[in-house]
Amino acid sequence: MKRRDFIKTSMVLSVLGARLPLMALGKSKQNIRRKTGTWDSDRILVLIKMDGGNDGLNTVIPVYDNLYHQKRPTLAFNANQALMVNEDSGFHPQMAPLVPIFQNGEMGIIHGVGYPQGNLSHFRSSDIWVTGSPADEIWSSGWLGRLFQNEYPNFPDGAPEHPIAIQFNSANLLEFQSVQTNFATMLFDPEIMYYIVNENYVPGSNDPPLETYGGDELNFVRELDLTTLEYSEEIYGAGQDGDLTVEYPNNNLGEQLAVTAKLISGGLMTPIYRLNIGGFDTHAGQGGEHPPLLNQMSNAISAFLQDLKNQGLDDRVMVVTTSEFGRRVEENGSNGTDHGTSGPIFTFGTTTVGNVFGSQPSLSNLDYNENLMVEHDFRQVYTTLIEDWFGLDPTVSQAVFQETFETIPFVANPLSVSGSPAVPEAFTLYPAFPNPFNPATNIRFELPHSSKVTIQIFDIKGREVRTHRLGKVSAGLHDFRLDCRDLSSGVYHIQVETAGSVQSQRVTLLK
Amino acid sequence: MAETITRRDLLTNRRKKADRPSHIKKDWPTPRVAKLYRKFLDDKPAPYYPPLKDYTPVPITPSRRHTTVDWNDDAAAHLLRRTLFAPTFSEITTTGADTMANTVDTILADQDQPEPPGDWVTEPPPQFDSLTQEEIMELLQTYYRRQFELIGWWMKRMATQPLSIVENMTLFWHNHFATSLQGVFFPQAMYEQNAVLREHSLGNFRELLRRVTFGPAMMIWLDTNSSTVYHPNENFARELLELFTIGVDNYTQTDVEEAARAFTGYRTNGVNTNYSYNQATGFGNYWQQRHDFGPKTFLGQTGNFDGDDIIDIILQQDQTANFICEKIYKWFVYEVPDDAFVDEMATIFRNNNYEILPVMDHVFTSDHFYDENFRGCLIRNPLTVTQGIFRQFDIADEDIPFRYLIDLQHFMGMIPNMPPNVNGWAGYRSWLNSITLPMRKLFTATMTNGTNLFGGEFDFEPDVVALAQTLSDPNDAEALVNDLAKLFFPLPISDDLEEQLLYALLEGAAVYDWDINAAGAPQRLRNLIIYMMRKPEFQLL
Repeated sequence: MKRRDFIKTSMVLSVLGARLPLMALGKSKQNIRRKTGTWDSDRILVLIKMDGGNDGLNTVIPVYDNLYHQKRPTLAFNANQALMVNEDSGFHPQMAPLVPIFQNGEMGIIHGVGYPQGNLSHFRSSDIWVTGSPADEIWSSGWLGRLFQNEYPNFPDGAPEHPIAIQFNSANLLEFQSVQTNFATMLFDPEIMYYIVNENYVPGSNDPPLETYGGDELNFVRELDLTTLEYSEEIYGAGQDGDLTVEYPNNNLGEQLAVTAKLISGGLMTPIYRLNIGGFDTHAGQGGEHPPLLNQMSNAISAFLQDLKNQGLDDRVMVVTTSEFGRRVEENGSNGTDHGTSGPIFTFGTTTVGNVFGSQPSLSNLDYNENLMVEHDFRQVYTTLIEDWFGLDPTVSQAVFQETFETIPFVANPLSVSGSPAVPEAFTLYPAFPNPFNPATNIRFELPHSSKVTIQIFDIKGREVRTHRLGKVSAGLHDFRLDCRDLSSGVYHIQVETAGSVQSQRVTLLK
Repeated sequence: MAETITRRDLLTNRRKKADRPSHIKKDWPTPRVAKLYRKFLDDKPAPYYPPLKDYTPVPITPSRRHTTVDWNDDAAAHLLRRTLFAPTFSEITTTGADTMANTVDTILADQDQPEPPGDWVTEPPPQFDSLTQEEIMELLQTYYRRQFELIGWWMKRMATQPLSIVENMTLFWHNHFATSLQGVFFPQAMYEQNAVLREHSLGNFRELLRRVTFGPAMMIWLDTNSSTVYHPNENFARELLELFTIGVDNYTQTDVEEAARAFTGYRTNGVNTNYSYNQATGFGNYWQQRHDFGPKTFLGQTGNFDGDDIIDIILQQDQTANFICEKIYKWFVYEVPDDAFVDEMATIFRNNNYEILPVMDHVFTSDHFYDENFRGCLIRNPLTVTQGIFRQFDIADEDIPFRYLIDLQHFMGMIPNMPPNVNGWAGYRSWLNSITLPMRKLFTATMTNGTNLFGGEFDFEPDVVALAQTLSDPNDAEALVNDLAKLFFPLPISDDLEEQLLYALLEGAAVYDWDINAAGAPQRLRNLIIYMMRKPEFQLL
């Protein structure tokens, strides 16, 4: 059930009047909640799920790839239609609000995200993404469920006062499911939820339940009753205290983001919000179905980012979009595309590194099913969020995925385990990766304090071939994507200069 | 070229494929006679399937013969709660005073098939190509309305059922063969599947599986309808194995592909199919041209299999009975299956050549089912909550707009005929979360007050006094409270809970002050009932 449906059919609020009084409730706390857990950071992750499998090739468009035009005679966009953002890619024409955001370095694009042995069954693939399992195993708990089980093993004992995660639809989601319980709180509207929950709450009786299976289930319902009651109060309070400084678009995602912004602004400490926008399963008539969704998404996200900036909340929030798979390269006979494998993930905010990670997928070098190859495992993205964004120990992400995955440097200020951003001692230049490379490589460097940075490329004869002036860059870890498509193969020197210090290294471009 | 004879052909009395007429000539001797001839053949009784020669029934004593269950009101209430959508008080006391054997017999007895919701259930699809845009739009509106009429019709059956498991069993099979109207389009097809599920809900599983497989709804839903020898579609074959019969890890991808080749050439127009149940084959030009008649290897056997052959081979696997019985166990007993008991159920299932009734009888007369451990250990699904209330308040015949009923189910997550996907509803604790649990309580409270959840009022009010009059001694407050607890709660109530309930009714007045005929009694009763429906115990089964 979506919030819109309920508002459309509900007369409840009008019965109540415009403003709800805070009810004084005598509730008996049957469990003592102590704040424990190692979750230190106050950072917030907003996950937006694009339901159905977003078509990455028509989102970040490889306009100069001839194969793209050949294989999509009716669906392809050319360089005049796409909104060009760099030398090889353009955004879908409906994504105009996101162009300045990308150009400001507040949007990251991670190409080719998927997993090996892509499963084309709709729910198998969804399940793999939300459980974080290898493709040939079936896990019944979600990655966030395991993460929170790790943090709060005796949930609800030891749980914080705020909801651990908030989602905006009423079905239990596998990603928050652990073996014991589900860690998400479903919400459609803070005020309506508060009213309904409180009007209908009666305390359970005081006897301990029987030691039978029936007793177990009774315990479960009692706990749910109690946590729902407490969370509804927290949420209501934050909703009353919060502000919105922009006008959100009047669509499904806009509404969800508006409630999210209000709660963050009102001081709710919930670290994860899970939103969704559906309709991406464009098997037919994609030309009519895909654009309004991208339009909705772009307008809603840009409003949200602006609101956060206005309220000074942007340094704590990152928005990440995911989808359960990409779509096939070749269009089908119904002017649509069928289920594919990998696709791009987008990260938004002043907290992300505004780079392109990886490159446009090859349309000639496809897998055995004629689908796009995978460049990044989606678990790398999740691992990065766990380690770099929330600053948890690598042993935690290891425990969640049963494997170690290499992080992708899209978090601008990675937290260290102690919870505060690590301030480097001195200017450091890390080894570029990949190396040798074609066509792009990533240059990573650390600054002890903010200063101007210039990157220069010299060829083997010492001639300067390129200069990038980055201007003033903040302290901390940074990544710069160096695209050398226009250069010829060979060895080059990369020189990074800042505040009087120079460091350099050799890289090899191998075309 | 000699055709391979399958082992199945040898062991059953069905005719060999070579002997079957490959198709009925469409217009011979005249079109009218040919059509009647087809119907004549179809109306003949279905072939008899003797048990397979190399299966030895495993000796097992059905529960009925050795049960030691202490039969009383509590045991009766437990059974009725699990099989009906909610029992009335007189049903509990009447069956509690009777014997377990009689009660189980009644619950599992044959029921007449109901009248369909309208004549439209057999209406043939139109010639779409000859319709104008406006006519198509009008048709879509009509079909849409009929789909929801069908849902309302079914929900009303749930709320008005007699002392019978049939509607619950139909819902169980619906969850098992989860088919959604959104993927099927034709209300006629959804009706046909519902009628099939009901008719065979306690019958023979092989027959049920065949009827569902070759019915128009399933053919459309899982793409059998577009599966041809040139382009076999794996969708149905995969779900047949994974979800409907033997479960994951009991077959390979190759098995799926080979089964997909067998399920080719079947066709439907949304109302009729090109399949004959009695002859167990497709027929007609499309069948001849689009079915893959070649040899396939499936689960270790090779032959020129068609869909029926695949079903037969699946039913030769021991795992099938276990898989189905485990699902039955989870729906009726507890989420965590007891392997030993499920094995018993599966043995009975196989011994009886896949008759469902003996399995249900074995469960409902077993010591295992009535064990104290299992009282109240299931979580009520949304339909038992809503339709249960209508049944207990005896207001199901009132003119409640079915659109309202369906909207309610939408909020609680279980609209019949609209499962989220072919996996069905996850059920168990996933029914309850921070939205659905408060919504349930809101619904039950407003229903008891006779108000519409979305504002406005109905023109009835549940007669709580009449409900109280069905109890043992409505003028005795303690008896009243305990009887209502028997009606609404699956677990015995503690002294503390009894205190709370008495307080909710009397609000501090003395117990002997309670007078059901006093002016304020109806409102107090209503308050008590709403209070009970808001208790966690009310969510359990």
